[in-house]
Amino acid sequence: MSLKTTEAATRADARLAPTPAPRDYRAARTLSGLRKNTPGLIVLVILGVLIVLPLALVLLAAFSDSVPRPGSISLGGLTLSNLALLATPEALGALVNSLMVGAGSAIVALLIGAFLAFVCARSDAPLRKFIFFIGMAPMFIPALVGALAWSLLCSPSAGYINIFLRDLGIDAAINIYSLPGLVFVLGIFYAPYAFLLLHSSLSMMNADLEEAATVHGAPLRTMLRTVTLPLALPAILGSAVLVFALTMENFPVAQVIGNPAGVDTLPTYIYRLMSATPAKSNQAASVAVILTVALMAVTLIQQRIINKRKFTTMTGKGNRPRQVPLRKMRWPFTILALAYFAVSVVLPMLALLAASMQATPFVSSMSQLLEANSLSFAKLIEVLGSNDFQLALKNSVLVALIAAFAGTTLSFIASYIRYRTKSKVGRLIELVAMTPLAVPAIVMGIGLLWTWLLLPLPIYGTLAILAVACVAVFMPQGYRGVSASMLQMDQDLEDSAVMLGAGRTRSVLDVTLPLMRVGIMSSFLLFLMLSMRELSASIFLFTSNTRILSILVFDNFDNGQSQAAAAVSVLYCLVIGILAVIAQKVGGERKTKN
Amino acid sequence: MKISIQNLQLKYGSFTAIENLNLDIEDGEALVLLGQSGCGKTSTMRCIAGLEEPTSGRIIIDDVVVFDSEKGINLPPNKRNVGMVFQSYAVWPHMTVAQNVAYSLKQKKLSKSEIDERVMEALTLVGLEPYADRGASLLSGGQMQRVALARSLVMRPSVLMLDEPLSNLDARLRDRLRVELREIQLQLGLTCVYVTHDQHEAFALADRIALLQGGRIVQMGAPQHMYEAPASASIAHFLGVSNIMDCTPEGTATGSTTARITNSELTVQSAQQASDAGTSPKVCIRAEDLQITAMPTEHPNSWPGTVRVAGFQGNDIRYAIQLESGPELDALGGLRRGEQHKVGDRVWVTVNPREVQILPAEVLA
Repeated sequence: MSLKTTEAATRADARLAPTPAPRDYRAARTLSGLRKNTPGLIVLVILGVLIVLPLALVLLAAFSDSVPRPGSISLGGLTLSNLALLATPEALGALVNSLMVGAGSAIVALLIGAFLAFVCARSDAPLRKFIFFIGMAPMFIPALVGALAWSLLCSPSAGYINIFLRDLGIDAAINIYSLPGLVFVLGIFYAPYAFLLLHSSLSMMNADLEEAATVHGAPLRTMLRTVTLPLALPAILGSAVLVFALTMENFPVAQVIGNPAGVDTLPTYIYRLMSATPAKSNQAASVAVILTVALMAVTLIQQRIINKRKFTTMTGKGNRPRQVPLRKMRWPFTILALAYFAVSVVLPMLALLAASMQATPFVSSMSQLLEANSLSFAKLIEVLGSNDFQLALKNSVLVALIAAFAGTTLSFIASYIRYRTKSKVGRLIELVAMTPLAVPAIVMGIGLLWTWLLLPLPIYGTLAILAVACVAVFMPQGYRGVSASMLQMDQDLEDSAVMLGAGRTRSVLDVTLPLMRVGIMSSFLLFLMLSMRELSASIFLFTSNTRILSILVFDNFDNGQSQAAAAVSVLYCLVIGILAVIAQKVGGERKTKN
Repeated sequence: MKISIQNLQLKYGSFTAIENLNLDIEDGEALVLLGQSGCGKTSTMRCIAGLEEPTSGRIIIDDVVVFDSEKGINLPPNKRNVGMVFQSYAVWPHMTVAQNVAYSLKQKKLSKSEIDERVMEALTLVGLEPYADRGASLLSGGQMQRVALARSLVMRPSVLMLDEPLSNLDARLRDRLRVELREIQLQLGLTCVYVTHDQHEAFALADRIALLQGGRIVQMGAPQHMYEAPASASIAHFLGVSNIMDCTPEGTATGSTTARITNSELTVQSAQQASDAGTSPKVCIRAEDLQITAMPTEHPNSWPGTVRVAGFQGNDIRYAIQLESGPELDALGGLRRGEQHKVGDRVWVTVNPREVQILPAEVLA
């Protein structure tokens, strides 16, 4: 180093040295290291309170003889006695039922989803665009509402279908309140998940791979068997396991359909233990731990399969995969798809409408519904004007908006720390953010209840705790959406703003946020939609003043007021439908932008 | 402006990306960091920019210490007044061309009239003034490159850094922009740092090339010097020397060297002294220095062989020639400068001993 540079350097040091004390460099470094990780640590603490603490409390309660509450949280009452409950026939029965329900609905959903995906993506059946809509549509009906509708259709005594069968002189009542009924309802309402995964796999498949098979002499049938099917296999398995996981932890459908039949699954069993007087919270916690462990195992398997999926060669190129000519089966296939639409959307909606509009609570023959004055909008209008409904609507929208805003913001900051900084806590943040994927919502609900009774922040009994629950439960979906969009954006775009003299925050505001706005908006709407439907966690967190729409439907049904429940459901679906249309508009904008 | 990098080191965990790098770049100089991917060239650039924090060392730009690990100085990138053109250009698609270029001036809170004036000046320099109000997402690759360049030039940076500036362009555009870049750099007297893996790009743009291998500068010098005297066989290989063979050199009385090629009966005469060869020496001969004739020549290095492959390349023909003494050589025969040979022809390959280099496999650390 020349003398000149040394001189210059010293001069520069004097000009810029940030540390006044000459020998304090090491301390300055440690401090700057800490400062670098501060935002990450703050996010980690927030996620920890949202997600880890509730789980820890459930785990603690499972091995304790008291419920965690302020002042009484101790490790003194540790016991294994709650585990004795797990060996009772009730608990074992619930476990077996849960597994059977999961497996059964996965098969039903996979059959329906695979059929629709094939017809829609790879066949020449008519009305394919509409079939795509059919495949997605049931997603917009909350599972709770679907279950309610099917209990209106097929309850053994008063179900519309059973009344109709009786009108026809057929004396074989279909009883939806049974294990097969439960599997059926879950299967049809979770089929869209299988459909969407398989549809994307089938339509994005590289056509060259199939064409290579034909060039090398395989007839259509052989090509489908030896190339198409193996390539779609990860998606098939992945979606089956996903549906298994979702249905196994499902609470509302199991409660509505299973409860009258005396069929307990783990989630309904937990709910029953929690709502017993006095509440058997510790036992509930130990069942919750079992359910969580089971779900974690299933989720791990599912992630394995989905990650393997990368070997499916997908290209963004425009050559469309080959269509399979159905010939004589074109219309029959479309009609079959329409039949699914009838079962999953049309019949349930009609049943809800009929139930909310019928003048008398009891119907003995379908012809009764066709008589003059038998149907009226009176009940719907009454519900629409009622305080209960208006408050619940206001609460739902408010909770969903707060959750969407807070959830998206948190997801953005978490993704930014994970993917845009060298912060050491990034990976840990991601792990925590993705954890609720493997935790049943009902377990999160119990944990959140105990957490917020314990914490000094008094949000229990307010809408805020419901919003907090939605953020915690749907964090994985939000985080994944935002981080996917962030990964798609070249880091150079933001760095170049910094190189041109803008500070980091300024650059994020000027460049990163505007460029990610579509991805951020989608995540916002996803949070909004999911929060509007949430029931399983909220069920432990609402108070009489903070009921949301899903709770209102559930309460009405639980109290035997099925007409009110139906009326609220109709309006509930309407609200969700409006949100879906808005989401569609935003999605459409994205397409034109690209 | 002058840049000085002292004892720079960058580690990712146990992996060392940059190892004790020392480099001084003079005012107005165009320096090219040349090397294969993963050699540390982009990391070095990002350290200068401040986008990467070195593990240790010191960086001084224009007499300002921007990084010093010992004193805990680490100036953020936006305070360094360094311009950077990213490989991906990073032109913001949600702004117009003019908005892109004006960005740095807005950060400096200049008056609107001054911003407009300087933006137009920069756009004129890169020939994009008619496109000022066009959305940046509607531009072609070459135009994006110019916007990125104008955006960095407008801030009057102490040093302009360009990461693989031409790699995303098609061949014709690349040739034109290479000349334009050099012209702008000389016209403005800019201190420039380029990063590239392409030797031709490096030769055309550089006043001086720093060749990096494994996070170290293994050779530094003017382009012509580097072309003529690579410091090792692996550098020669990187710079496009295609005939590289293991050998055992022996000195002769006249100060030249006779090299016996390993696993063959071939011996090669070199004008170079044997003692320069270092450990595990290799004979290096450029394809274009080989002459192919149908008849033997009088030169010491004239070997018989057979044409195995002849590939027409436009200006010349590329031959693969199997020597009778064992090795296969890669040779370029000019279409205009002489005979053409067909596959299977028996030919003589000749090389002047002055064009034969005997180099160590690697530069020692």
